[in-house]
Amino acid sequence: MAICTVYSTHSLDSTCSISTPTKTHLGFNQKQVVFFTTGKRMVKRGGGYKITCSADKTVVIGLAADSGCGKSTFMRRLTSVFGGAAEPPKGGNPDSNTLISDTTTVICLDDYHSLDRTGRKEKGVTALDPRANNFGLMYEQVKALKDGIAVEKPIYNHVTGLLDPPETIKPPKILVIEGLHPMFDQRVRDLLDFSLYLDISNEVKFAWKIQRDMAERGHSLESIKASIEARKPDFEAYIDPQRQYADAVIEVLPTQLIPGDNEGKTLRVRLIMREGVKYFSPVYLFDEGSTISWIPCGRKLTCSYPGIKFFYGPETYFGNEVSVLEMDGQFDRLDELIYVESHLSNLSTKFYGEVTQQMLKHSDFPGSNNGTGLFQTIIGLKIRDLYEQILASKAAAPLEASKA
Amino acid sequence: MASIASMSVSMPCKGVVIPWSRSEAFAGKYGIVGNEKGKEKKVVGVKAKAMAMAKFKGTQIREQQLTEMIEKKVKEAKEVCEGDEKSDECKVAWDEVEEVSQAKADLRRRLEKQDPLEYFCRDNPETDECRIYED
Repeated sequence: MAICTVYSTHSLDSTCSISTPTKTHLGFNQKQVVFFTTGKRMVKRGGGYKITCSADKTVVIGLAADSGCGKSTFMRRLTSVFGGAAEPPKGGNPDSNTLISDTTTVICLDDYHSLDRTGRKEKGVTALDPRANNFGLMYEQVKALKDGIAVEKPIYNHVTGLLDPPETIKPPKILVIEGLHPMFDQRVRDLLDFSLYLDISNEVKFAWKIQRDMAERGHSLESIKASIEARKPDFEAYIDPQRQYADAVIEVLPTQLIPGDNEGKTLRVRLIMREGVKYFSPVYLFDEGSTISWIPCGRKLTCSYPGIKFFYGPETYFGNEVSVLEMDGQFDRLDELIYVESHLSNLSTKFYGEVTQQMLKHSDFPGSNNGTGLFQTIIGLKIRDLYEQILASKAAAPLEASKA
Repeated sequence: MASIASMSVSMPCKGVVIPWSRSEAFAGKYGIVGNEKGKEKKVVGVKAKAMAMAKFKGTQIREQQLTEMIEKKVKEAKEVCEGDEKSDECKVAWDEVEEVSQAKADLRRRLEKQDPLEYFCRDNPETDECRIYED
């Protein structure tokens, strides 16, 4: 039987706290020995619990996106903004959904499925249904990581459809939780420092899924369409409503520049940014708070068909005040990108041309020539800015405490 | 060395008509060709994208499993939904199709960089999964 002993030392700069979940993922209580120290220390006691005290607090970002985890181009752009590339954990379960870079860890929320594939079939619920997910555990573990404590996170294996033995996740500088329900549960929502929702319209979703699936033997246009249609009711009931909580939404729609276009090649992308979010100042065009319609192509800039069209203005989105920056069309040349960047404000870049540089760095990524890539890159820079502001405010706080 | 031929064979589709496919880039990707009059468009063959190497036997088996699962689950979903399209069973069946389709796509994408079993096989080279896949 383990004994609980607590040693305390005075520490001004360490934010140590131990969360003692009443129920572990294994479902029973465990006693722990707890050490509070300054700086980082790994302590192991009582059967597999690692306790880390960290001076930095983890910043948590929520990303709501359909279809899979860690693959999204946004994740790759975001980790690139912070430097480095996010890789699956070396060693351990090869079917892990987690991605880790120097600064960022991306967790796939599918790992918090309470029902595996067989279980869902028996109960008649899709993965979109909240009943298939363990929000209690999600909350506990995200909270633990945010407080600087490592967790043993379950793994949902997408190949077998089973829940695999857990993997250790250490608290990173930036934690991204990606999946279908990052903003569904209120407790988890309150842990998020920033949240983003990728809203893909049905037509674009169809076009993208065709690209993904048409090469597969079992698939046809009908099956792809049927799959989207069948998932729609649950999607609209459980996933879509999260849009009202998001700090930013990237909405992807078919273009309005080419009448009757259905290919999903040229896209109209809207970056919907909530006003009044701490540490987040929306990007704007020319004059903040006004309404602007802008076609950059003309005498100074030559664009090829169908050209580029921008819109910026204040709107209301699910009862919230937002600013919307919209781009329709594609970039064909580097100078178009630089030209556009030079006219946008509040980009949170560290130097002139940083957006262009990031876009060029990943010119092979999907969306690199349209609004999806542009806005994902901009949001990535905004998140970096948010992270640095949070860090700065945390550093300031203990100094004030010591002065008092 | 590892061969990708068996994994990404061109399979003729059932002759599905896509009326709205116009651009050449799109057509070229999905093997859509027009007839002489240029009016009717048909999918005659679909080429998979160039796939990276499945280095280890374990990964090759996994790819095969996923391919078969997609076929099987699409068939299942069609059968289940024949009765009632709005039923829970129908929804769940198509959700499973989505899940395995995405899993296959993720595996394809990961293979572009490196075989997912790379690190596992470094530590356990003697296992059956880690046999180097040979043609």
